[in-house]
Amino acid sequence: MSKVADRAGRWVYRGVWGVLVGWLRVPDEAPNVPPGSGEVVRSLRPAPGFLSYLKVGFWVLAVIFDVVIIGVWVLILAANPIAGAITAPVFWGLAIIPDIFAYVALHVRFDTTWYVVTERGVRIRRGVWIITENTITFENVQNVSVRQGPLQRHFGIANVLVQTAGGGGSTAEGGTSAGHQGLLEGVDDAQALRTLIMQRAEASKSAGLGDDHHEQREGRGSLGPAHVAALREIRDALAT
Amino acid sequence: MDTRSEADRPAAAEFDHRAVTRPDPVLLKHYLILSLCSGPFFPVVFLAHYCRYITLRYRFDDDGIWMAWGVLFKREINLAYRRVQDINVTRGVIQRWLGLASVAVQTASANSMPEMKIEGVLDADGLRDFLYAKMRGAKGHRDAAAGATEDGGADAPDEALALLVEIRDGVSTLRARVDALEATNPGGDGAAS
Repeated sequence: MSKVADRAGRWVYRGVWGVLVGWLRVPDEAPNVPPGSGEVVRSLRPAPGFLSYLKVGFWVLAVIFDVVIIGVWVLILAANPIAGAITAPVFWGLAIIPDIFAYVALHVRFDTTWYVVTERGVRIRRGVWIITENTITFENVQNVSVRQGPLQRHFGIANVLVQTAGGGGSTAEGGTSAGHQGLLEGVDDAQALRTLIMQRAEASKSAGLGDDHHEQREGRGSLGPAHVAALREIRDALAT
Repeated sequence: MDTRSEADRPAAAEFDHRAVTRPDPVLLKHYLILSLCSGPFFPVVFLAHYCRYITLRYRFDDDGIWMAWGVLFKREINLAYRRVQDINVTRGVIQRWLGLASVAVQTASANSMPEMKIEGVLDADGLRDFLYAKMRGAKGHRDAAAGATEDGGADAPDEALALLVEIRDGVSTLRARVDALEATNPGGDGAAS
């Protein structure tokens, strides 16, 4: 029985996904990377644990919501059985239909989230109605923070927040598309990802703000081995 | 719209930044639909959007972007490519149908709203790649790769090296002269030192 339901659910979901891709023009592949940005280091999706995490949140909310609605209906039924019978479809519909939508939306959210890490930066795509693609270069990364709640720890996932310079917006979990930051939600190897991003951020000599003119000039003026050899000869000529 | 095949890659790279001066007429259609969504406020909202559309101008220079709009209150924004922090490309459902996107460019200002929102550019991916190539990181990488051989190795260090070689030769001739003087006139040299 559950197998049939599972297959039916999958079939329905495939239909929903087809509508999204065909009619709402939701791209069903990873975001492209700009030419000349080097190799795609990693193209990743949120971990499967993230889906379970979202589902736990969904069930908790759904149970609270439905208990309240059904509770009200039971009270009406107890007070006036006829009124209870008449309003039954309304209450049960209110209890069940939003849950179905929320459940599908949760899967769609999981399937439309993409992260691409290249040599030069990260690109994050998320959203269904409004699709946002955020590109952050490692050159501009100021800090990377990893956040993990107890439930997330249970599912082995964490959120990696990449921040660039500039203020505004909330740095909280909710601000997924706020300015000056990129949130990689629900990744299962947050530590490795953090190390990867920080290594690249530190590798660029001019990381942070401002231009890298002075850095280049410095490189030009620095002494090479030939200069040192010439200086050494001068010293030797003076010493003898 | 997001093809990763290699065949499409050069086409995306050929974004002519000088050709973009006005938003595409499709943007007006988008504004019209947006205004219709506001219901009873349609005339006011549409007028505002229409004014924005007809006065909107872009100019993509070698160093930065210039953008201006407004009828009563004019606004101009200048932004250097090198100061670009993040690029956000946003596509709503209507925008996807019309083939539009809004490219939000952010600098490091204390404002979470993007400093510049470029709307009505049909090749949004091309524009983004163009901006991405002009940003700080790209320049540094190119210099590190190509500049190390030509720029770093050719003129500047050679000049310093030539100076040093001249000084070295001068010092050695001086040294030789002093040695010769010492050999011919040891007494005088000893008294001097």
